[in-house]
Amino acid sequence: MANVTAEQAATIKEIVCEILELEEDEVTGESLFREDHGADSLRAIEILASLEKEFKVTIDQAELSRMVNLNGVYEVLAESAGW
Amino acid sequence: MTGPLITDWSAVSPYGIGRAAFEEGFRSGRTTSVPLENEDWLVGERADTEACLVPGFVIKEVLGKKGTRAMDRVTGLVVTTVGRLLDTTGGPLPSEDPDEDTALVLGTTHGSHKSMVDITRDTLTDEKPYYINTAHIPNAIGNASAGMCAIWYGLKGPNATIAAGRNSGIATLNYGRRLLATGRARTVLCGAAEEYTTDRSWLEWHTRGADETGTVLGEGCAMVQLRAPAADGRGDDDALAEVLGVSSGITGPDGVAAGLETVVGNALRRAGIGREEVWAVSASAPAGEAGRQELKALDALFGDLDPLTLGRPGQIGDTGAATSAFQVVATLTAAQDSARAAGRVAVLTSVDRDGALGCALLRMR
Repeated sequence: MANVTAEQAATIKEIVCEILELEEDEVTGESLFREDHGADSLRAIEILASLEKEFKVTIDQAELSRMVNLNGVYEVLAESAGW
Repeated sequence: MTGPLITDWSAVSPYGIGRAAFEEGFRSGRTTSVPLENEDWLVGERADTEACLVPGFVIKEVLGKKGTRAMDRVTGLVVTTVGRLLDTTGGPLPSEDPDEDTALVLGTTHGSHKSMVDITRDTLTDEKPYYINTAHIPNAIGNASAGMCAIWYGLKGPNATIAAGRNSGIATLNYGRRLLATGRARTVLCGAAEEYTTDRSWLEWHTRGADETGTVLGEGCAMVQLRAPAADGRGDDDALAEVLGVSSGITGPDGVAAGLETVVGNALRRAGIGREEVWAVSASAPAGEAGRQELKALDALFGDLDPLTLGRPGQIGDTGAATSAFQVVATLTAAQDSARAAGRVAVLTSVDRDGALGCALLRMR
């Protein structure tokens, strides 16, 4: 698990579920946004941009390739934010 | 040669959702203006105290939650109207049964003013210029609504957006006519839409001339289904009207009335229609001097014939880009109620404050 607090993880999950139009119990740390939840590239960018805005960070778009599931998002965000 | 035929239509208007609601409301002549203080979904201060709104139009309730999270109001109006016209519900995922032969031509002023303003505001007020809601980026592009309809209903024919102010609805008929004439589509859905939002309210208020005060804004979407006539004229019993011609022009130094007389005269001449064939006239009736000039031109051209005058299209407020699309469906509704309409011609005119002039001629079936 990346270096995120439970509170941060909950906020991230909430943002992801809102964007993917999913209930929170439908998403696990490992379930894949694209393959399992039907996300497209626009949704992926939306997740990235929403996290940037929420946590006041800048995430390199190259990191999108790692942001394929919640665990990937936690890792990328923790690195980008220097948590 | 027979022109393209209007075979069906639908509308989402301040009279309600669907064709039947518009027909009922238009016939009743009742006003649809409501006080805005009761509209919880409208945020921020408005320039208006009242407007003509589509009653109970909450996108999530009308179209469902899936795929509508970031949908703006004008897109919701268009998707709903097209769904009614196609008699289908569609959905947010690309259709598995795409329709290659149906085109969509949508008239608009700027798409959604609100979507554009929201994004611009966020780039200026947030900590970084790129801290914006990316889901709203597609909405800020003028053809977002037409594109969303194509996805929602699997319409793979040509997909066009025409920004021609009040003229837009009439202009889409011309665009649709050309798509049919060149074999680019078998069916064309033509129409126009306008949303009511706080942002539009202020934009309108700031750009209004001194003679245009008292304008009550309206919103909605009206779409018609257009197709080419059968080669032998058989099987066209479903036609409601034939599009005889569309012409456009701009206001010159002689003013709106003189310019419009020329535009209408050109339309009649090109279509080979005599004045005596005219059954009804429908004016776009903008507020102020432009509206007075429009009526003056129609009176000069047809006053002695005493045609049925379809004034402002119902009591639905100033519907901006959707105005002439609503004139079309109001004319189709009035024709059903008139024993004198069949086989005769309706003259629809459009006058925009920016100087654009338009005319469509419809022969009622």
